[in-house]
Amino acid sequence: MNVFYDKFERHDHGEGLKGQATHYCAGCGHGLAHKYLAEAIEELGVQDRTVAVSPVGCSVFLYYYFNVGNTQAAHGRAPAVAIGQKTANPDSIVISYQGDGDLASIGLAEIVSTAQMGIPISVVFVNNAIYGMTGGQLAPTTLMGQKTSTTPEGRNEFFGTPIRMAELIAGLDGPVYVERVALYDAKQRVRAKKAITKALKLQVENKGFAFVEVLAECPTHLGMNPSDAEKWVKEKMTAVFPLGIKKDVENPPDHAKPGTPEFNPAHLMEVFEGTTEKAPRFCNEFPSGWATDDIALKFAGAGGDGAQTAALLVARAGINEGYDATHIPSYGPESRGGTSYADVHIARTEVLSPASPSPHILVAFNAPSLARFGPTVVPGGTIVYDSSVIVDVPALAKGVKAIGVPMTRIASELGRLVVKNVVALGALQAATSLFPEETVLTAIRQALKSKCAMIPLNEEAFARGSQAVRNHES
Amino acid sequence: MSTVRERPKPLLLPQFCKGCGRCIESCAKHCITVGTEINPATGLVPVHLDLEQCNGCGLCISACPEPYGLRAEPGKDFVLEDPKALFGPRDKAREAARSIPDERLPLPLVEPLVVKGTYAAAIGALIAGCRHFYGYPITPSTEGAELMAKLLPKLQGVFMQAVSETAAVNMMYGCGGAGLRATTFTSSPGFSLMLEGISYMIGAELPAVFLNVMRGGPGLGNIAPEQSDIKLACRGLGHGNTHAVVLAPSTPQEMLDLTILAFDIAFRYRNPVVILGDGYLGQMTGTVRLPDFVVKPGLPDWAVWGDKGHRENLNCSIFLSESDLEAHNTHLNAKYAAMTAAEQRADLFETDDADVLLVACNTPGRMAKGAVRDLRARGIKAGLFRPMTLWPFPIDALKPMLERVRRIVVVEASNGQLEDEMRLAISHAGVHAPPVINSVRRFGGILPQQREIVERVLGFEGKEAAA
Repeated sequence: MNVFYDKFERHDHGEGLKGQATHYCAGCGHGLAHKYLAEAIEELGVQDRTVAVSPVGCSVFLYYYFNVGNTQAAHGRAPAVAIGQKTANPDSIVISYQGDGDLASIGLAEIVSTAQMGIPISVVFVNNAIYGMTGGQLAPTTLMGQKTSTTPEGRNEFFGTPIRMAELIAGLDGPVYVERVALYDAKQRVRAKKAITKALKLQVENKGFAFVEVLAECPTHLGMNPSDAEKWVKEKMTAVFPLGIKKDVENPPDHAKPGTPEFNPAHLMEVFEGTTEKAPRFCNEFPSGWATDDIALKFAGAGGDGAQTAALLVARAGINEGYDATHIPSYGPESRGGTSYADVHIARTEVLSPASPSPHILVAFNAPSLARFGPTVVPGGTIVYDSSVIVDVPALAKGVKAIGVPMTRIASELGRLVVKNVVALGALQAATSLFPEETVLTAIRQALKSKCAMIPLNEEAFARGSQAVRNHES
Repeated sequence: MSTVRERPKPLLLPQFCKGCGRCIESCAKHCITVGTEINPATGLVPVHLDLEQCNGCGLCISACPEPYGLRAEPGKDFVLEDPKALFGPRDKAREAARSIPDERLPLPLVEPLVVKGTYAAAIGALIAGCRHFYGYPITPSTEGAELMAKLLPKLQGVFMQAVSETAAVNMMYGCGGAGLRATTFTSSPGFSLMLEGISYMIGAELPAVFLNVMRGGPGLGNIAPEQSDIKLACRGLGHGNTHAVVLAPSTPQEMLDLTILAFDIAFRYRNPVVILGDGYLGQMTGTVRLPDFVVKPGLPDWAVWGDKGHRENLNCSIFLSESDLEAHNTHLNAKYAAMTAAEQRADLFETDDADVLLVACNTPGRMAKGAVRDLRARGIKAGLFRPMTLWPFPIDALKPMLERVRRIVVVEASNGQLEDEMRLAISHAGVHAPPVINSVRRFGGILPQQREIVERVLGFEGKEAAA
C-alpha cells in the first residue's frame, strides 16, 4: 500500500525491524484504525492532498507511517491544528486522529467547538477506555468498576461516569456524520473500514465535519491477552458505548469554502480607506501662541457626550495641516456611559509625551469634568464648558480663561443632541483660533464622508457654537 | 477450485508478526493457529499459517493490524527476505516542492492614515501579506481584532474566533505549518494561555506573529496599560529552550512598521515573533505612513501544504532520542545566536553627549523622550536609549555608551522587567562595572509621566525639582 511509507524512517531512523513494524503492542486497535485509514486515503485517491494531524497518546507517532503531509499537535489540540491547516488550504484533506485522553479529556473544548463549527475535517477517535502511553491511567471513557493505575479499586462515582463522545458530537448541529464502530470481529472491522472511508469521502466532497469513534483494544493495560481484550470490548464496552450510526445527514449542502486570498495593492488600499488625495491646508504657521512646539488639550465628559469624537477631529485637523498629533481615550471597564475623557497633543514635529496631565486647553461637557480637570489647566490656558449643565466654575490657575457656552441647549434647539460636541468645536474655534476655521470644518466633513446628509446640520452646529462665544465676549 | 486459486493467499514474514492472533478467529477455514516458536529477531511468537485449506478470502489480511504483516502474496517475482522488493514499487515520481518566493507589489503613495495603534498593527499585518487571523477577544487588544474581522473577508482572508486562546495558538500552528502568515492579537492573560502553543511552534520551527497589548497583572489585574509581560516574552515562552524576537513599538507608526518587520523575521528564522504593545499605545491614535509596497507571500518548501510536492514534510517538536533532541537544540541555539547578532534594534535620542541615559520602551519610551527634552532645558545632559527589540536586547548599541554615561535611569511600567533584561545583557557583554542604575517604576495601569520622570531624575542628580 502506497499510503504507508515503504520504510518507517522516522521510527528510530528506520533501523532494523522498526523500518517496517509499528510501535504498537500486539493486539492494539490503533494498527487496524491506521490500516483502514490508509486504505481509505488510497481508495479515494487523495494521498497527495492529505494532511494528517497526529495527537498525543499512543498514536502520537502516526507520522511514522503515513506518507502524507504530517503535523503533530499538542495534547488535545489536534482539531485546532486541523482548522489551521484546513483554513490555510481548503483543498487539503485534513484528518484529526485522536485517542480518548486527547479528545475526550484535555481537548474537549477543541473537539466540541470544531464539530459545532462543522468545518469539513475527518476525525478518527480511538476509544480504548484507558490511557495507554502514560501507563494505564483513568480515561474519561474508562468503564465503571474498571481498574486503572489511578483508580486501583476500580472507577467509582467519585470519578463520574464514562463520557459517550459519539452521542455528544452527534447532538451538535455541525457534524454531517457520526458513527461508532469496533474492531473485535470481521463484521465490525468491515463496518469500521466503511465508516472511516465515508468520513473521509464526506470531506473530499466538501460536505462537512465527520466523526468516527472506534472502540479499540488495549490488551497491555487491560492486562488481558488480545483475544480476551476483543471479548471485553464486545461485551463490556459496547454495553456502555453502543455501536452504530449516531448522525448521518441526508444530502448535506456543500460547505462554504474560503476564497483565494487577495493581494491586489489597489484593492488593499480601498479596504483600509487609504487615499492619495492630500487634505487641503489652511494654516500658515504652527499655532505657537499656546506653546512653542507642542500643545496639550483635554476633552472630558460623560460617555455619549462625544468628547472622543471631538478630540479625534482636532487631532485629525492638526495632522491635515502637516503637524504631528495624537489622541488617547481614557477607557474604563464600562463600555458605554461612565466618564470619558481624551488627551490630544498637536506638535510641530513630533508628539513626545501623548498624555495631557496639564493641558493648555480643556473642553468640559459636565460639572465633574470641569471640577476635576479645570484646576489642571496651565496658567494662561483656555477652558470651554457647557454652561447648560455647569453652574459652578472651580478655582483656576492664573490667567485661565473659562468660557461657558450652552452646548446642550444649542444642540437641542438644533433638534439633534448628538451635535453637542460639534457645538463645542465651534466654541473652541472662536475661543482659541487654534487653526483656521476651514481646517476644522474640513476635518468634520472628512469624518462625515459616508453621511453627507449630516454635513449641513454639523456646519450649523459649529457656527452656533462659535456665535455663542462671540456673543459671550462682546 | 479454479476460481479460488485466482484469489491470492496470505503471506506473512514472521518477523513482522506480533502474534496478536486477530487473524486466527477471522479464518473460517482454521488455517491459522497460535504459534509455538519464539521468533529470534523479535522475541515474539508469530502465528502459524497452514494454507492447505485457504480459499483466499482475505479476511485475515484485513484483520492484521501491521502494515507489513499479513499481505496478499504478490506473485512469483518476489524476494522473501526483502520487504521493500516484496511490497511492490512506490510512487517515487514525487518531486519535492521548491520554495515560491514572496513578492513585493508596489503600493501607490497613500496619504498618512490617522488610526489607533491596534488598527495600525492590523493594517501592517495586511500589508505584510497576512490573511489568516485566529484569536479570542480580550481587552485592550480587541479593537484590532475587530478591524481584522471587518477587513479580512474583503480580501478573501480568514478571521476565526477560536474557542480559547489555547485553540487560537494551535490554529496558528496549523496555518503557519501550512506555510502561511498567521497572526493573533491578545493581551496579557490571553498571552499566558498561548505560551504552551508558542513552545510547540518554536520546537517545530513554525512562524507566526503574536501581538500582545499588555495590561496590568498578575491574574486578571486590570485592563490599563502595564509592561507586565516583558519577562514572559523574553524568558518564558512556554516550556523548554525557547526564544523569539520580541519587538517593542512606541508609536502607532511603529505598530505598523514593526508588524511588517515581524512577519519578515518570523519567516526568515522559521520562529514565532512577539510584538509587545501596551494598552495606551493600542488605543493611541496618530499619524501612520504606509510603505510603498505590499507583500504577496509565496509558499516555503518546508510547508505541510497538503499537495504532492510538500507531501513528505512534517511539522513536529518530538525528538525521541536524546542525541536527536540535543542536535535539535543545538540547531535552535544557532538560530538564537543568529537572531542575537542580526536583529538588535534600538532608537537613540540625544545620546551622543549624554551623562544621564534614560532607558525605556513602548509608551514610557515616548514619555521619556519628552523628559529628555525637559531635562536638557534644565541643564542636564540627558539622552534616551529606547530598545525596539527586547530580546535580543540591543546591547551592541548600549555597550559603548556604558563607559561614557554617568547614570542610567530605567523608566518602566513594571517591576523591573526591562531593567532585568538590560542588566542580563550588560552582564553577558562582560561589563562588570556599569554606571549607577536608578529606576522609575509605576504599576497597575499607571505609566510614568513626563513630569514624574523629570522630577525623579532631578532627584537622583541631587537637584531641586522646582522650576
